[in-house]
Amino acid sequence: MTLKFNLFTLGIGICMGSSALAQDYSTYSQFNQRVTSLAAANSSMVNIQSLTKTTGGKDIWMITIGTGNTGQKPGIAIVGGVEGSHLLGAELALGFAEKLVKGAATDSIRALLAKTTFYVFPNMSPDAGEQYFAKLRYARNGNARSTDDDRDGKVNEDGFEDLDGDGRITWMRVEDPTGKYRVNPEDPRSLVLANPAKGETGKYLLFSEGIDNDKDGQFNEDGEGGIQFNKNMSFNYPNFQPGAGEFAVSENENRALLDRLFELSNVFAVVTFGPNNNLSAPVVFSPAGISKRIITGYFEPDTKINALVSDVYNKQTGSRDAPKTSPGGGDFSQWAYFHYGRFSFSTPGWWVPKSKPDTTAKEKPLLIEDAVPNYLRWAKSQGITGTYKEWTKINHPDFPGKVVEVGGIDPFALINPPYKLVDGLVTKHTGFLVALAKMAPQLDIVNIETEKAGDNLTRITLTVMNKGAIASQTKVGERSYWVKKIAVKVITTNSQNVVSGRKNQVLDAIEGYGNQTLSWLVQGSGNLSIEAGSPTTGSKKIEITLK
Amino acid sequence: MKNFFIKLTFTLLLAGSYAAYAQLPENILKASGSPANPKVPMAWNRYYDYTAITDVCKKLAAAYPNLVKVESMGKSFTGKEMWVMTITDFKTGDASRKPAMYIDGNIHSNEIQGSEFALYTAWYLAESFADTKFIRELLADKTFYIAPTINPDARDNFIHNPNTASSPRSGLIPIDNDRDGATNEDGFDDLDGDGNIVSMRRKNPNGRYRADPKDPRRMIVVGPDEKGEYELLGSEGIDNDGDGFVNEDGEGAYDPNRDWAWNWQPNYIQNGAYKYPFSLPENRGIADFVMKHPNIAAGQSYHNNGGMILRGPGAEEDLNTYNAQDVQVYDALGKMGEDLIPGYRYLVVYKDLYSVFGGELDWFYGGRGIYTFSNELWTSFSLFNKPGADNSPDASYFFDRYLLFKDAFVDWKPYKHPQYGDIEIGGFKKNYGRMHPGFLLESDAHRNMAFTLYHAFHTPKLSVDEISEKNLGGGLREITAVIANSRLMPTHSSQDLKYRIEVPDIVSLSGAKVVAGMVVTNRDMGITAEQKVDPANLSVANIPGNGTVTVRWIVQGSGAVTVSVDSKKGGQAVRKG
Repeated sequence: MTLKFNLFTLGIGICMGSSALAQDYSTYSQFNQRVTSLAAANSSMVNIQSLTKTTGGKDIWMITIGTGNTGQKPGIAIVGGVEGSHLLGAELALGFAEKLVKGAATDSIRALLAKTTFYVFPNMSPDAGEQYFAKLRYARNGNARSTDDDRDGKVNEDGFEDLDGDGRITWMRVEDPTGKYRVNPEDPRSLVLANPAKGETGKYLLFSEGIDNDKDGQFNEDGEGGIQFNKNMSFNYPNFQPGAGEFAVSENENRALLDRLFELSNVFAVVTFGPNNNLSAPVVFSPAGISKRIITGYFEPDTKINALVSDVYNKQTGSRDAPKTSPGGGDFSQWAYFHYGRFSFSTPGWWVPKSKPDTTAKEKPLLIEDAVPNYLRWAKSQGITGTYKEWTKINHPDFPGKVVEVGGIDPFALINPPYKLVDGLVTKHTGFLVALAKMAPQLDIVNIETEKAGDNLTRITLTVMNKGAIASQTKVGERSYWVKKIAVKVITTNSQNVVSGRKNQVLDAIEGYGNQTLSWLVQGSGNLSIEAGSPTTGSKKIEITLK
Repeated sequence: MKNFFIKLTFTLLLAGSYAAYAQLPENILKASGSPANPKVPMAWNRYYDYTAITDVCKKLAAAYPNLVKVESMGKSFTGKEMWVMTITDFKTGDASRKPAMYIDGNIHSNEIQGSEFALYTAWYLAESFADTKFIRELLADKTFYIAPTINPDARDNFIHNPNTASSPRSGLIPIDNDRDGATNEDGFDDLDGDGNIVSMRRKNPNGRYRADPKDPRRMIVVGPDEKGEYELLGSEGIDNDGDGFVNEDGEGAYDPNRDWAWNWQPNYIQNGAYKYPFSLPENRGIADFVMKHPNIAAGQSYHNNGGMILRGPGAEEDLNTYNAQDVQVYDALGKMGEDLIPGYRYLVVYKDLYSVFGGELDWFYGGRGIYTFSNELWTSFSLFNKPGADNSPDASYFFDRYLLFKDAFVDWKPYKHPQYGDIEIGGFKKNYGRMHPGFLLESDAHRNMAFTLYHAFHTPKLSVDEISEKNLGGGLREITAVIANSRLMPTHSSQDLKYRIEVPDIVSLSGAKVVAGMVVTNRDMGITAEQKVDPANLSVANIPGNGTVTVRWIVQGSGAVTVSVDSKKGGQAVRKG
């Protein structure tokens, strides 16, 4: 109460104050409140639109941040919430929008917003994300569409059950001679696969918490949770996999985002806050990846820009020890490169730092590959509690007479940091996005020369230059008609005649700081103008006086 | 006697509508295999626009309410309804539970006769139902979903606007083909305003063409040591946007048949692709319709031309999608097609035609497990009933001259072109070369229809062939049932099985308490696989074509049992023990 009163008297937007001081991730309604407040308080540079509603009836927001004619400047699309269980992704996207707008009080950000447009799609999985706040809390990525995940003709017939009544779904281990898991000798709270090649034997079956409702031998394989945004894209689409849908781009949110992105010809880069990471370490060029018709790897010039941007990312965020990721099929960030033809950067935004052994507690370095003990050590050092539940015996109807225990790590904990860390992460990632915007392709016309080639005949020579660090288009985008080329037009009057060189032409991509020289012979006198531009580079128009 | 009354009633009912015609039913001798007195009189030697197609669909539905229903699958880009007719004997069984055949035409807007062929099929089924026992039985067992045009916007553009035989092909969503930021700014131009887009030629002593002495309308390439008279300048048009290219950014120019959701690829890999699978509203409507009709077991999508009965895979990358069992089914159907339609060859798209991703037939088969063909209608075989290779090079000119009396050709005439100067404009009209000449249209429509009816006939037909009982003592009985499929197609194609696209068939027993249930894998040796959960409703992955599945239950107590089978693509059957 005091807080609200203070902010009110100070005239500061309530939304910012409350988000900065929030104790946990935002619910759907809190999130909506933040989006609408941001626009309401900053109408000169923020425009919001609900692109569609999900099957669950939730809004998919697009926040446009920029000044002037936003569609005519290089744009960056920032996409969060590509996976619903990754609450941080949505927070980073919306948090960036909030911080950027707040920063517009400074000259440098105001200048940036005059040159660049940011399109923020903060949460692509609002149906799934809301499960974190639900009575039955579980890590969910699928939207509200009813699906038959196990393709048995029944829909949502085998979901999770909260067997230990703690309100969240964790893990369930069953003592069984055929079990493939054993207790991690370095940390008995975690289970690891036994390696028979090393003479290890398993003791436990491991499942997510629940009952085999449809008695098909599988646990919780077809519960609430339909189609996953990040599995429903057209690149490397995983046909008929659970969560992928019946065909690619079948869902409202996927279609609405893509329809909008295809309209936004000015977007040169897409930044995804999601599981894939090509910012901590860039994609490496592999000739095999581009050797076939269906390419699966980056073109070499695009890997170079990825490397350049990756350096900027690591510098801005200071992050290290990122775990290696390999993107799954049908994901969004790969789509943005391979099918949208734009520079695509993706980061989870946070991962569990490498923990150091607590020598006072006589801990030894962890040698077994297992994320859980590392997390638990780190959590202890940070004073984080409540993310691990001791294994507790329960009676399970599917395992009469067997020892069944429920417990283990909270699945959200490994990918979502405690909320108190979010603000710092937003600041770092805002720094990165601002730095990326400063690398945007920018077209200029330089070295303009006119010379008399004959009576009433002028030779015009000029250089079209990209003043930005990033190429005007990706290499992959050169081949896609959705990526516009640089159009160069000689705008003449009736008495003027272009006798050599093209009156209207399009140029292929110009690399970062690269250029291309053009010349024309024009018959006639007086003035003419030459305009060069493309949506991703902006345009430049010059006046020429014929000699 | 009963038949007589039905016919009499029909005749009386129709007397009114026939009053305007000189040919009354009593003046007509039925030609074998054709409806003699159709309720919806049709001429099958001309082509119909969207308005006419809409009218025919509605007239058929009005004339045969128990056989034809018409609905829309959605709206096209410009807002036209995507008509689909459901044709079956609505008095026998549930239309949505009979194995079904889906037929469409005209996905490429310039390939228009697919619509007439599809429409002919609908008309023929309705108009022949009363007379033809085979059709009655077929419509008792099967359902047809017939969508005459799935590109109505551009169909009308093709028909009513100046076009070549190959334009627009696309739909009408504007596209920036030359990537200069403007859409549709440089299409064809009907320079002489005669309603045709034909060719441009220019007299040029260094040109590489001359007039064919056998038919001077025809341009032929001169030999390497000869001098020519003409150069060819492409289709009628000018450089509207001043970029040095002629006709490079016309109407639409994406390909609706690269928009389907099986191994879809973007336009830089697959020319013609739009944004993402089913990003075109017309195809989206069809996909929604197909998803809502899991009884569709067979598909046909009519194209032109070349006389081909095509099956997938469209791309070599999808070769593994088609395995031997499915190829057997395709081969049996496709070879029958070659017999029924002279001059047509049964071919595989990726190796015999060209490689293509995102084609309609690939989604029907790859994405839904539906056995699907695309017939490429019209072949030069039909000019003189001999293979195209045996025709003389000027056969199409010869045919036009002596059989069409030069109706298909616009004679060369001079024109002053703003960029090319003095040129001549002439060539074949859009309705010749890829489309059937009028007098050959009905014959080929009938043959292609006959092939699709054969295709539809061989969707699964299930029956419970046998129910036998054995007393096991102690109040237990063993009930064994044999489920048969008497047609070529299995209830699940192997593609369907591989991805579990459609749910398994369910064989159920009712009338007694089931204590155990099992699928019998070898009846003679007594080898079975038990289903522990819900044994009264046995899940059967597939019922093979011209094959059987044997199931068994152990039941407690007495009472007559009933065995039923329920298959999404195979329909239903029931039998009392």
